[in-house]
Amino acid sequence: MSARYGMAIDLDRCTGCGACMVACAAENNAPPLPQATPRTGLTSMLVRQVSNGMEGAARREVFIPIMCMHCEHETPCVSVCPQQAVEVDKATGIVMQMPQRCLGCRYCMTACPYHARYFNWWDPAWPAGMEKSLNPGVAARMRGVVEKCNMCHARLHSARAKAAAAGKREIDPADYIPACVEACPTEAIRFGNLADENDPVSRDAHSPDAFRMLARLDTEPKLYYKSKEAWVRELAESKSGRGPEVKHG
Amino acid sequence: MASTAMADSRWIARGAERTPLPQFLLWLAPWAVILALGIYAAGLCLYYGLNQTNLDNRFAFGLWIFLDLGIIALGAGAFFTGFLVYILKRTELQPILNSAVVLGFICYSGAVAVLMVDVGQPLRAWFTFWHPNAHSMLTEVTFCISCYLLVLSLEYVPILLRNRQLRKLPSFLVFEHQLHKLVPVLAGVGTLLSFFHQGSLGGLYGVLRGRPFAFREGFLIWPSTFFLFILSAIASGPSFLILVTAAVEKVTGRRLVPQELFQRLGFISGVLLAIYVAAKSIDTLIWLNVTSPSVGFAPWQYYNYKPFGLPILFLEIVVFGLLPAFLLTYRRSAKRRGLLLSAAALACAGILLNRFVLTVQTLALPTLAFDDFLHYTPSWQEVASFGGVIGYGVIVYSLSYRYLPLFAQSKGENTHVSGS
Amino acid sequence: MKVTRRDLLLLGAAGTAGLVVTPVPWKLLDDVSIWSQNWPWIPQPTRGPVEVKQSFCTLCPNGCGMRVRMAAGWPVGVAGVSSHPISRGALCPLGYGAHQLNWHPQRLRTVRHRANSSSWGEARAAFAKACSEGRIAIVDGQPGRAASSVMKTFVQKRDGSYRVALGPESQALAPYEIWSGVPAAALGYDLENAQTVVSFGAPLLDGWGSPGRFTRLWAERAAGMADPQLRLIQVEASLSGTSLSRTAARAWQWVPVRAGAEGALAAGLARALLDEHLVSVSARGPMPPLTVAQAAEQTGLSTGAIVDLARTMIARPPVVAIANDGNPAIAALNVVLGAAGARGGIVRRSKHAESYASAEGVIDSARAVLIDSTVPWDFTPKTDAEVFRFAAWDGGSSKADWLLPAPGFLEELTDVPTAPASAVETYAVAPSLVKAPPEVQSAAQFLGGIDPASITVEKIIHTRCDDLFRGRAGTLHGQEATPVAKVESVQKLEEQLWKGAVWIGEPPRSGDFRCELKEWPATGSSARVVNRSSVNWSRAWLAPVLPPLVSKLCQESSLREAPERRNS
Repeated sequence: MSARYGMAIDLDRCTGCGACMVACAAENNAPPLPQATPRTGLTSMLVRQVSNGMEGAARREVFIPIMCMHCEHETPCVSVCPQQAVEVDKATGIVMQMPQRCLGCRYCMTACPYHARYFNWWDPAWPAGMEKSLNPGVAARMRGVVEKCNMCHARLHSARAKAAAAGKREIDPADYIPACVEACPTEAIRFGNLADENDPVSRDAHSPDAFRMLARLDTEPKLYYKSKEAWVRELAESKSGRGPEVKHG
Repeated sequence: MASTAMADSRWIARGAERTPLPQFLLWLAPWAVILALGIYAAGLCLYYGLNQTNLDNRFAFGLWIFLDLGIIALGAGAFFTGFLVYILKRTELQPILNSAVVLGFICYSGAVAVLMVDVGQPLRAWFTFWHPNAHSMLTEVTFCISCYLLVLSLEYVPILLRNRQLRKLPSFLVFEHQLHKLVPVLAGVGTLLSFFHQGSLGGLYGVLRGRPFAFREGFLIWPSTFFLFILSAIASGPSFLILVTAAVEKVTGRRLVPQELFQRLGFISGVLLAIYVAAKSIDTLIWLNVTSPSVGFAPWQYYNYKPFGLPILFLEIVVFGLLPAFLLTYRRSAKRRGLLLSAAALACAGILLNRFVLTVQTLALPTLAFDDFLHYTPSWQEVASFGGVIGYGVIVYSLSYRYLPLFAQSKGENTHVSGS
Repeated sequence: MKVTRRDLLLLGAAGTAGLVVTPVPWKLLDDVSIWSQNWPWIPQPTRGPVEVKQSFCTLCPNGCGMRVRMAAGWPVGVAGVSSHPISRGALCPLGYGAHQLNWHPQRLRTVRHRANSSSWGEARAAFAKACSEGRIAIVDGQPGRAASSVMKTFVQKRDGSYRVALGPESQALAPYEIWSGVPAAALGYDLENAQTVVSFGAPLLDGWGSPGRFTRLWAERAAGMADPQLRLIQVEASLSGTSLSRTAARAWQWVPVRAGAEGALAAGLARALLDEHLVSVSARGPMPPLTVAQAAEQTGLSTGAIVDLARTMIARPPVVAIANDGNPAIAALNVVLGAAGARGGIVRRSKHAESYASAEGVIDSARAVLIDSTVPWDFTPKTDAEVFRFAAWDGGSSKADWLLPAPGFLEELTDVPTAPASAVETYAVAPSLVKAPPEVQSAAQFLGGIDPASITVEKIIHTRCDDLFRGRAGTLHGQEATPVAKVESVQKLEEQLWKGAVWIGEPPRSGDFRCELKEWPATGSSARVVNRSSVNWSRAWLAPVLPPLVSKLCQESSLREAPERRNS
C-alpha cells in the first residue's frame, strides 16, 4: 500500500527558533561553510521571517519553514532533470534526489518555485576530527551537485530495516520521524501520511485554515501550512511579489 | 604583397593574398592573451569549484547560460544558410557558406566548452546519454547539440582539408571529396537537429511552471517559446553572418562577398524577424492576459522593478525587433551599407536581449509572496571565461580565413577595397 | 597489396562493432562513473555499531533530556527525551548542534598563561601559591551541582568566598529573597498554573528556560487562538528599524515601552491596580511613588493604556509578572498582584536551598579568582586578583591570567540540579558519554588535585541519590513514572538516574512563602537597555562558542544574527 508522506505546519505555533534547521543540518551531514552566505548556503530546511508590513502595535510577524514541498503533480524538478537524478518515489511520494547522479546543471533549481534546492558551491569540509560526528546513515555530498530535503529518507530506511528484522511488512510510524519534526519544540511541524484519512496530518490538510504555497501553480505540494490569521494565509499566493521579509545578519 | 615571400606561404592558397606573418601574429596576440585569461579563469572554476563565480542558489543560471543561449542563437546562421543553399537551392548564398560553417563551429564548440565549466561535475556529463529523461528539454538539448556539433565538425573538415598542404595527401583529398558529397545530407540533418535544439532551448524556459514569468502554453508538449526561439534564431543567424563578414572585410581590407549577398541575407533576416515580432507580440499578449494571471501572477508584478520595467519589453519588440525588420526589408534602407549593418546589429541585440530576459530576469523576479527582487553581477572569472570564447573564436576564424578557402567561391576574392 | 578505402572503412566498422561486444568500454564507463561519484577527499561518516544513550544537555542550567546516537563511540546525532516531564522531548537549536562542539576549532587543549603556553603543573603550582598567600574566590555558573559542592567546600575550608553568576531567570527572583528570607534558589515560577503572564522583556519563547516547558505550554494553550487560555503579554521596547523579538511577535499582546522604562511601567501598573481597587485587599502591596501619569510619561504609553493593561492583567488570574533582570519593581508588582507565594505565581519549590552571593559585584580582598567553565563567557570579574578561568572553548579576548582547558560536551560526569525557573525541584544525573581527552581537567578535579581531602563528584552524586531515596518523596520519571516511595532500593534509584531518568519533587503548595514589602523598592540604575530585538540568546547559555551548525544557521540564513560576543 503506497503512502503519500506530507506535512502540516502550524504557523501559529512556529516561534522561529531554528531548532529544525539545526537538526536537519545535523541529520543530513550539512557542513558548516565559513564562506557561505544566505544565498550560497546549504539549508534544506530554511525558516523565513515575514511581517505584515506594519509598524507599531499593529505589526505582526510570522515564521515560515520552507523546504522541499514534494510536489505531486508534474513535479517541476523531476520533469526537467536531464539525467533522472530526481524522481518521485511511488511508494512514499517522496521526491528523491540522487546527488551521485547529479551533473550539477542546476536546471532543477531554476524550476523550483519554492527555492527549496541548494547547490554545493564548495566541497564539504569540517574542522579536524568533526567528521567523526557525522550521521552514518547519510552520505556526504561532493561539490557541484544539488541537494534538498528528502524527508530524512535514511530514517525511513532504518524503519524499514527494523520492520523487516521483526518480520513485519509495514513500518511502525513511530520509527520514521524526520529530524525537523522531531526537533520542533512546539510540534508546529507534523508529519504523516496524506493517503490515510485518519492521519492527523491528513485532517489538518483539510482544515479551513490550511493552505499551500503557490497552490495556483498546480504543483500539488504535500506540505500544508495552516494559520488562523488571515494575513498569513494570504502569503500563499504571490501578490506584489515584494514580500516584507525580515532579515537579520 | 606576393604570397611566396612569407614564412608560412606554403600553407596559404595559391594566389591568395594575406598579410605578412608577423603582422598576423600581432593581430592574434591580444586575442591569445584573452584566450589565455579565459582558460585560466575556467581552470580556476574547474579546480576550485563554482564558488569562483557569483552564481548562487537563487541565480543558478547567470552570464554563461545567457551567453550560451545567445551564441547558439547567433550561430544558427550556419544551419540555416546550409538549409537555404542545399535544401531550398538558394545558390546565391553559396559564397558565404563556408564562413557560416566555421562560425557555427566556433559558436557551438565555444558554447559546449563553457557548458562543461558551468556544470558542477563535468565528468558526469555523459550521464545524460546514459539515463536520458524523455520529459526534459535539457536532455533534448544535450543530445541535439552534441550531434549537431558532430555535424558541424564534419562540415568543417572538408573546408580544413582544402588547405593547400593538406590537399596534397591523396587520402585526404579523396576523403574530402567523399565528404563533400555528404554535405547536403549533413545540411539536412543539421537543419533537423538545429530545429529541435533551438526550440528546446526555448522550451527550457517555457516549461518552467514554477516561474510564471517564463512559463508559456503552447502546442502539445511544446511551449510557445520553443517556436519563438527557432524563429528568432533563424532571424538573427543571417544578421550575425552579415556582421561578422562585414567585420572581416573591414579587418582584411577586401571585399569578400558581393553587396547583394548582404542585402539578400538581410532581407531574409528581416522577413523572419517580422514574423517573429508578430508571433512574439501575440504570445506576449496571451501570456500577460491569460497564462500568467491564471496561476496567480498579475503582469504588473513583473515590471515593477527598476531597471527591468516595461521599457525592456518595448526595447525587445519594437526597437530591436520591429525597427530592424523594417530596415532590413525596405529596399531603400537595405541598400545603404551603414543602415544595413546597424539593422543587423539591432536584430542580434534583440535576440541577445531576449535570451537575457529569459535567463536573468526570470530568476531575479520573486515567486513566493515574501521573496525579494534579486540582483546578480558576474564575477571576473565568468566574464573572462566568456572572453576566452571570443578570443578562441577570433583566433580560429582568423586561422581559417588565412589558411583555408573560406570565401574561395567568390570571384572577387582578391579585390582590394579602395582606401583600406 | 594495396590498402583501399574500403578496407579502412571495413576495419573501422568491424573494430567498433567488436569492441562494443567486449566488456572493455562498458567496464571503463562503469569505472569512470563510480570514480566520478566517489571523490576520496570527501569525508565519510564513521562506520561502527550504533547505539543510543541517554544523558542531559549541559550547555545551560535547564538540563533538557537528551538522547545521543553513538557510532563507534562518537556522538553522531541528538534528540530530545519525550518522557522528560519538563523538557518533553524538546531541545533548543544549540542542543541540536551540541554533539559537534568538542571538535570546534576554538576548543581549548592547552593551559595558557597570559597568551603563552603553559602546563597543568604550573597552573596548579600558581594556584596553590595563591591559596597560601591569600583568600580565594570561586565563581560558579551553575550552582547546586555536585561539582559546586566541591568548589564551595574548598573555599569554605580556606575562608574564601563562593559566588554565583546567575542568568536572568534567577536574577529576577533575587528581590523575593530580600523580602521573604527564602533563598532565591528555592523559588520558581508556577507557569503551568498561570493564565496571564506579563513578561518584561524576558524572551519567554526564545531562550528562556527549557523550550519544552514554556514554549510548548504556550503552543498548546495560546498559539493562534484569539482567546487563549494562556495570555502572554510581552512588554518590550521596540527599536526602530529592527524587527520584534520572537516573543513579542508571537505574544497575545505586545506592549511597546521606551527602552529602560520597564520599572516605571511596573510601578505605573501597580499604582493603577491599587488606585482602581483591582487587587484584593489581602494582596495589597506597597504604593508605588509614581503616579500613573508619571509612569505614562516615562514609558511612552498613555495613562489610559496603562490602566487598560492593568485591567487586562487581572482579567484572567492567576497572573504573574516576569522580569529579565533583577529589577525589583517587577517583583514588587508581583507582590501587589498577589502572585508572590500564590498558585500560578512565584512559588517555593524546595525547603533546602541556600543563599548565594552574586559574582556581579566587586570581588575585593581576593588573592585569586577561579572561574568555573559553567560561567558565561561574557562574565568579567571585577577584580585585580589573579584569574584562573576554566573553559572548554576559547571565546576570545579573555582577561583571565590563566586559561585552563575544561572537559567539553558530555565529557565528564555531572549532575543536573533544579533548573532556575522550574516550579518543582528536579534532579538528574548526566553521565559522560564521551571520554574526555587527557589534556582537560574540570575545576572540581583541579581543586581535588590541590586538596586531596576533597570528595569526588561521583561520590557526592552517590550521596545525593542516597538522600533522595531516603527522602521517600517525589517521583522518578524514566520510561514510566514511579513514586520514589515505591522504588525498592537506592541501587535501583541510582541505576534509573544513570540511565536518564529524572527525579521530580512534590508540587509546590501555595502560601509556602510570604513577602514583606513595606515600601516600593528603589529601582536605582539597574534598568539596562533591553535586549536587542531579535537576538534572544539566553544569557544563561554558558558555552563561549556556538555549535558549528548554529553558526551555520546564522551565516547561511537570515533567520538570526550571531549573538554578541559569541565567536562562531
